[in-house]
Amino acid sequence: MPSARRAARRPLGLAAFAWVAIALYLAFLIYPVLQSLLMSFTDRNPLRANSNFVGLENYRELVVDERLRTTLVFTITVVVVVTLVANAFGLGFALLLNRQSLNYRIMRTLVFIPQVLSGVIVAFIWRSILTENGLLNAALQQMGLVTEPITWLGSTQMATISLCAVVSWITIAFATVVYSAALRSVPPSLYEAATVDGAGPLRRFRHVTFPMIAPGTTITVVLCLITTFKLYDVIAVLTGGGPANSTQSTAYYLIQVAFTNNLFGYSSAIAMLLLVLTAGMAYVITHLLRKREGRL
Amino acid sequence: MKLLRRKITAAVAVAAALTLTACSTSEPTPAGSTELSFLTFETPALTAKFWDDSITDALKTVPNVKIKKITAPTTDRNAYAKQLQATGQLPDILASINPKDFIDANLLTAFEQDWLKANFLLPEANNIKGKTYIPPTNSQILPMVFYNKDIFAKNNLTVPKNWAEFMSVVTKLKAAGVTPIELAGAEPWSASMPLVGLVSANVLGKNKNWIQDRYAGKTKFTDADMAAAVQKQRDLIAAGAFASGALGVNYADANKQFLEGKSAMYPMGSWFIGQIKPDQAKSFGTFMLPTDDGSLVVPFNVGGTTAVSSKAPDVAKAVAFAKSWSLSPNNLKVLIETDGAFPMLKNVKLQDFGATVTPVFTDAYALVGQENTKVSSIGWVNNDDALPPGVSDLFYALSQQLFTNGDVAAQLSALDKAWDKAAGK
Repeated sequence: MPSARRAARRPLGLAAFAWVAIALYLAFLIYPVLQSLLMSFTDRNPLRANSNFVGLENYRELVVDERLRTTLVFTITVVVVVTLVANAFGLGFALLLNRQSLNYRIMRTLVFIPQVLSGVIVAFIWRSILTENGLLNAALQQMGLVTEPITWLGSTQMATISLCAVVSWITIAFATVVYSAALRSVPPSLYEAATVDGAGPLRRFRHVTFPMIAPGTTITVVLCLITTFKLYDVIAVLTGGGPANSTQSTAYYLIQVAFTNNLFGYSSAIAMLLLVLTAGMAYVITHLLRKREGRL
Repeated sequence: MKLLRRKITAAVAVAAALTLTACSTSEPTPAGSTELSFLTFETPALTAKFWDDSITDALKTVPNVKIKKITAPTTDRNAYAKQLQATGQLPDILASINPKDFIDANLLTAFEQDWLKANFLLPEANNIKGKTYIPPTNSQILPMVFYNKDIFAKNNLTVPKNWAEFMSVVTKLKAAGVTPIELAGAEPWSASMPLVGLVSANVLGKNKNWIQDRYAGKTKFTDADMAAAVQKQRDLIAAGAFASGALGVNYADANKQFLEGKSAMYPMGSWFIGQIKPDQAKSFGTFMLPTDDGSLVVPFNVGGTTAVSSKAPDVAKAVAFAKSWSLSPNNLKVLIETDGAFPMLKNVKLQDFGATVTPVFTDAYALVGQENTKVSSIGWVNNDDALPPGVSDLFYALSQQLFTNGDVAAQLSALDKAWDKAAGK
């Protein structure tokens, strides 16, 4: 059948939905990104109607801004920790819950709850748990494990650890679901063949499960990385970027620069940097993991 | 197929139309009436009911105006006002913003000097470049040191008169196993209270114009007097004046712990008076953070609520509402009782408000009326002495940083750099 006639038979009415989706994508993603890019070359102040073109001045500032450097180091630390922890625990939970009975299906649903809740709600819940007079200290003291309450959010190190733990808790839920789906796609015949060949549980995992769930690993690692790189909501509620600005992510700093210091132009340059870093890192890691998938 | 395509197109059109109409559903404004938006914020003392009641009360004398209340998502209404302005939605009336951030862009309307002089005790207290954008309705002392009289009596302590005595009190309380100073260290603004007191008393107490001199480049944060004042905070930390987990304690928990007698002193804004119930009042007193030589310095801030946008659809009506709100005795009565606000109305005495206040309030309020050394509470005032955008937040954060970083000189140098950058030097 000629291609023109095949095209004529397609339900063209559905194109309307595609155009709506494309319009929304352009309006709410591409247009703001382009506007932000243009703004990064100006001294735009949210309180002033006019702004001036300043060329690469904001990008030069990125190089010498010590606070930005500190937030980048913090953000990358959280990204690395959360990605590793979420993948390790997500895979572990998925293996434990990889059964078909109703109980396991319910447990899989429960594990996913942190991902369904908004980051703000999760952070509020954890803040009430982690405060000095919170649930965790009360429980630890009741059990006689500590005599003095631990300041989970009160020192720079503990606040960083607590934040990583909370973000990991949210992300583990997502990783568990992806790994569960990946595990269910592994043909049972492969396990049967491996068992016949005398492979024990560890060897079955090493030589069957791990290679077969590689696409799931790629998805989980890349999405963990992207979502953690732009982390803002949990920080805003849980630590407020403190104590002493020690838990400020780059996204959090960006908002401060824009709305506290009134520097929209410079904050747009930070946003561009964040976009390039996230996209670049996602591309490199996807590329490496895809190559790994091929090798496995 | 054609029919299906038409149906789908129609469905999309209807959905789009519904989406658009959903964006514009609101109660119609009565004919001849003007709708004005009012940006508010909520705290434990300033509840949604307070704002609703205060709007109703203010509208009694302003006919043909309908107020649409907007509540900031957090207490940082200043940042929210900027977000709204950035999207062309600056509210017509704004509660307790920092006007200095907005006036360079001519976004606010100044109140008439005659009206200010006729109604307020300190009509020029909120002046910025000779104009007032927030009516000076009430004042605060921040910080003042609240202390637990029972703990002091139990440990044979008296109110310290100078810095050496203050440090001695801290040492004795620590030795007695009492947390000497409560600190709401989790949030930078509340963590800053001791530092604000130390700098206001020891630096601005000697040079009232220090902030203006800093703008002019005549003073710096790295100057010896500033470094000495900030070092006092380090000395307090080293002496164990604060609980080990102080940076993890939020404002609500700190209030609770101090009121329950778990600590002896609490440097906080005078609004904390509103948290002390009448039956608790006999156990608490206040004093100013002492200076080296014992001279009294009162860190002072004249507040107020209603700023008016110059872009309001009817600026005259917005100003009329702002004036009515600011002069409403009912509104001030609530602020006096719940927020420890010291009224600054010219023709209305404290007793005229009919507010129930404790001796803690009246003792502190006496300092407002007395002739004494009042200085701008650094980082908190809304007049010419307001710090450049973003610098207040860095100053607040410094008080937290001092817990882990003893390099006072380097941190003050960073603050100088941030000031120069923010002030455009």
